[in-house]
Amino acid sequence: MIKINSLYKKFNRSVVLKDINLHIKLGETVVLKGVSGSGKTTLLSLIGGLDRPTQGSLLIDGEPIHKLPDNFASKLRASKIGMVFQHFNLLEHLSVAENVMIPLIPTGLKVDKIQDRVNSVLKLTHIAHKKDTLASRLSGGEKQRTAIARALVAEPQIILCDEPTANLDKANSLLFIETLQRLHQQGKTMVIATHDPLFDNLPFSSRVIPMVDGEIVDE
Amino acid sequence: MLNNSFFYFLTLQLYKEKSKHIAVVLLSLVVIFLLSSVLFISSSLRYSLFETLEAQPDFVVTKLKAGEPSTTPIDWADELLEIYGISKVTPRVHGRYFFKSKDKSFLVVGVDFLEEQSHKGIESLISGTDIKSFLSGDNMIVGEGVKKFLEKNYYRNSYQFLTPKGVFKKVNIVSTLTDKSNLLANDMMIMPQALAQEILGYGQDEVTDIAFNVVNPDEWQNINDKVLELHYDLRIVSKDEIKKLYQNLYNYKGGLFLSLFIVLLLTFSLILYQRYNMIYSTERRNIGLLRAVGWSINDILKLKFLETISLVLISFILGVTLAYIYTFIFDAPLLKEIFLGAENLENSVAFRPVVEMGVLSSIFFIYAIPFIASVLIPVWRVAITDAKEAML
Repeated sequence: MIKINSLYKKFNRSVVLKDINLHIKLGETVVLKGVSGSGKTTLLSLIGGLDRPTQGSLLIDGEPIHKLPDNFASKLRASKIGMVFQHFNLLEHLSVAENVMIPLIPTGLKVDKIQDRVNSVLKLTHIAHKKDTLASRLSGGEKQRTAIARALVAEPQIILCDEPTANLDKANSLLFIETLQRLHQQGKTMVIATHDPLFDNLPFSSRVIPMVDGEIVDE
Repeated sequence: MLNNSFFYFLTLQLYKEKSKHIAVVLLSLVVIFLLSSVLFISSSLRYSLFETLEAQPDFVVTKLKAGEPSTTPIDWADELLEIYGISKVTPRVHGRYFFKSKDKSFLVVGVDFLEEQSHKGIESLISGTDIKSFLSGDNMIVGEGVKKFLEKNYYRNSYQFLTPKGVFKKVNIVSTLTDKSNLLANDMMIMPQALAQEILGYGQDEVTDIAFNVVNPDEWQNINDKVLELHYDLRIVSKDEIKKLYQNLYNYKGGLFLSLFIVLLLTFSLILYQRYNMIYSTERRNIGLLRAVGWSINDILKLKFLETISLVLISFILGVTLAYIYTFIFDAPLLKEIFLGAENLENSVAFRPVVEMGVLSSIFFIYAIPFIASVLIPVWRVAITDAKEAML
């Protein structure tokens, strides 16, 4: 599903990622572990096609996302990848339902179809009761569930999570892990970048990959 | 279109961030309103003046004394008539009469009602006046400004002129010109030519100038040269020269307002720039988020373009409509004084509604292009460089 070969990323003179080689299979859950600055977020942004590697290749379902023009990379991202961010990144002036529909807007789907999809994903993530609430009025846990709903609404095969529990308390973090487990059962491929110890022994994670100074140290 | 997700999201964005958008619309509205009002007034005045100039004779001849215009002998009219190609020769009497105590003046215009050519130029002004009763005594028709001024100074139905011979001459006011003619005739007093000659101190054989037309416009230069040969102290002015004089005046005023507008536009751009810088970090993150969830750079630019063009259109339509109402219904208070300058007499000019499509499209492009650019360029820069902003 995701194939990364000899991948490097440099910012000016500093090398942020060094010789990354990683193959992630369909339905796998991979946890990228490491302290802040170890390169986890950069690796996620490369997998998501938000940035381009300096060297090496990155294939998503056989497609070289790092070489695709913006329009195609965006389409690939919209159809195959869902992202959950550390700061949730919701548009604060929009409601929960409106935030969740954002990934479907450029797809050309009709509004009523989009609303049907949003309603079903809100039920799945247990946030349907807050559908019309403004994002700015949600708690941390509710924001996270909204962010997950947004990541799932386009029915992507891959879910990328960047420090998903960094702004959650323990109870909400555990709830989040439960949601991930359900997604794993549905066969989603997940890559989670985190330094939260709660992810050390996930019953459903196939691999924990430690990263130090931009390198995978021991897979 | 209502079921189109893009337009649905666009209306959501416009509605949900209404306070931000209302602020932008209000700011733009002020700029559009000012610019439109100035251009509407300028077009209206230009249109009215040039229409009047178009009705003027092709040439005007005056006698010079020590290089200054002086009274012109009426005999020159006969000499002009002898030149082949000249028609409609009209001796004219006009001049300013000063109301010393108030430091004001009136424009006295003498009309020979028996000569068709003489009153043709002001035909439209005096239409509806009973010429017979007008000629039966010492009567005059006055502009609205003159009427108001005289009434304020207790002259209701007549006015006592003091002639250069030191004799008082009572002239009755038989009617007042309509306010539509105020731009040109606000301070005008129209009277029989002989009466005007007496009041201005002209002899029976003296006039202010002599106007004439030339049948073939190709002969203008030839005729001009022939007329100049008649007398060494003769000055000839063509309609084109008068037009150029007014054009220069309008170019000067237009240039002045253009300079003011550039200053206004720069201020406006600066405010917009500051405004967008203020929200830059949030905006950057939001754009990064849109990219992260699958929006392409084109999708983001399309959304921002439609958002901005909606605001531009709303501001433009409202601004132009308000400017139209302000200029043509309320007669542009404040701006009118700037345009017409210090008036000799109080003037209630009614601007003639003139809307030129060229002017409207100029306003739109002068305003819309910098505005759209000031929004889209930063958005585009963020969209191409900071897609991973959402990850931070």
